[in-house]
Amino acid sequence: MRVYLIALLAFAGLAVAPFGIGGYETNVLMMVLFFVILAVGLDLVTGYCGQFSFATGAFYGIGAYTAAIMTRDFNTTIWVHLPAGAIVAGLFGLLLGIPALRLKGHFLAIVTIAFQTIVYLVISQWTSFTGGQVGLPMPNAGPVTVFGVTLFEFGSLRSYYWLTLAMTALTLLISWRLVNSRLGREWVAIRDDETLASAVGLDTTRGKLTAFVAYAALAGVAGVLTAHSLRGVTPDDYTIWISATVVAMMVVGGRGTFIGPILGAVFLAILPELLGKFAEYKMLIYGVLLVLVVTLMPEGVVGRLRARAAR
Amino acid sequence: MDLFLQYMANGVVIGSTYVLVAVGLTLIFGILGVVNFAHGEFYMIGGYAGIVAITVLKLPVLPAIAFVLLVAAVVGIAAEAILHKPMKNHDATSSIISSFGLAVALQNAALVVMGPQPQRLNLDVSKIPVLSSLPTDFGPVFLPQQRLLIPIATVLLIAILYVVLRYTWTGRGLRAMAQHATVARLCGVRVERVAIVTFITGAALAGTAGMLMSSVFFVYPIVGNMIALKAFTVVILGGMGNVAGAAVAGLLLGITESLTSAYISNAMRDVVGFVFVILVLLFRPQGLFGKAVERS
Repeated sequence: MRVYLIALLAFAGLAVAPFGIGGYETNVLMMVLFFVILAVGLDLVTGYCGQFSFATGAFYGIGAYTAAIMTRDFNTTIWVHLPAGAIVAGLFGLLLGIPALRLKGHFLAIVTIAFQTIVYLVISQWTSFTGGQVGLPMPNAGPVTVFGVTLFEFGSLRSYYWLTLAMTALTLLISWRLVNSRLGREWVAIRDDETLASAVGLDTTRGKLTAFVAYAALAGVAGVLTAHSLRGVTPDDYTIWISATVVAMMVVGGRGTFIGPILGAVFLAILPELLGKFAEYKMLIYGVLLVLVVTLMPEGVVGRLRARAAR
Repeated sequence: MDLFLQYMANGVVIGSTYVLVAVGLTLIFGILGVVNFAHGEFYMIGGYAGIVAITVLKLPVLPAIAFVLLVAAVVGIAAEAILHKPMKNHDATSSIISSFGLAVALQNAALVVMGPQPQRLNLDVSKIPVLSSLPTDFGPVFLPQQRLLIPIATVLLIAILYVVLRYTWTGRGLRAMAQHATVARLCGVRVERVAIVTFITGAALAGTAGMLMSSVFFVYPIVGNMIALKAFTVVILGGMGNVAGAAVAGLLLGITESLTSAYISNAMRDVVGFVFVILVLLFRPQGLFGKAVERS
């Protein structure tokens, strides 16, 4: 119960935050929330289910491009794009999950990097479909109407922020329920010992595929939100650097600790803003942090604190 | 038909680079069990070291090569100290994340030090004694000396590697480690030394490839990404840990890419290898030339 209370207070605080801060800070907070969604999603598949993925940027991009391309071709709105982005990214997650059934550790990691590269090549080269290097613009979302009556104008920074906040809350709720469900425990069993998991009769195929789909769908949702709030998509927003950043957030916070990747995302997403003119070194810092954390405390900050508290 | 031979020759040149990078990668995996995602950065550093040696330090070619090898050795020793030595008590997958982190760090360090603009080594071949006397026309095929040098150097280096692995004590130690690490240790193989030698070898091969290629293609901070992926493709096609397999698969991939870009489309050239690798992983995970083994 205490967990829910703290979470509720945090979200209440974040919900009123835009009234007290400027547009720049609201933008930063929104970006932090995107990364929270991405890091929590990656934690499902890597932290809980033990399957490596360096393709977060690819699923994020698939969600974003789904929104941009649907806007262009069907003139649909964000309310359609949110489920559509989740479904399209989820299907690609399923596609990538299939090799995961047969591959382990390093092989899977290589395939996800290859997938990330292919997706980047497609969105940056297939100019007629994706806009190529220039990307695609997106119009403002426009008013939200029910039976022809305008409820409110949608499209201001704050409205995107609140929507992102709501989707983040939903992400956390779903993920929290998932990892504490029977399915979540199956993931952990697969991570700890796959042979044993299948020997005691767990369906490891189902376990791995669900983890991949959940991860990809969440990244897709983050992509839709990003595309709309940035008013467009360009391929360079969805590179392997995004994947590396999210891996760093998850590992530094602590794989499979739930709260760890959230804190990792908050910390590492805000860090470049604090660095000022040194912000260009952020990827260098992420890389060094990854190496240091994996070497010195592979369980991450939260994992280490928990282990210490348990002793 | 004339063009076909030219495409084949270009493929062999590119493929030779893949061989040099992939052989080191497969050695490090086969002997130490480390999957080195930072291997492409060895190539990138070799390229930059070559450019610095020749354009900044104004060294002649042979000392420049020695400089590149020295830098590669330092990088190899450092990489071993980061990716292998502290990981003994960690689970095997930790090196995946730490080498990925190292790759990210090295790329961005290169970005800070060398800048984002692509650079190329202007190698004046006419001033280099042996190289300038090599022919450039082979019937319908034209290969400038800078390109011709790459397959020649590859053959030389792989031959040296073969002799070292086959006939020296160090080489025997390396092969013993690859076969069974525990038994090798029991027989008196100094594991720490083998690990360092393996990383130096891998870095030297990839660094040399980077230097040779820097006179043909541009070097930029993230050039290693694509090279590493190609090398992984080659290593998987050839069978993880299989040096001869990597050599054959490297040439095959180079030629396939060259023909794809010539006859299908240039945009497809980089995708072909990945499609290949995903298919091979799904249907023949032991590689095209590997023996089937039980993976547990």
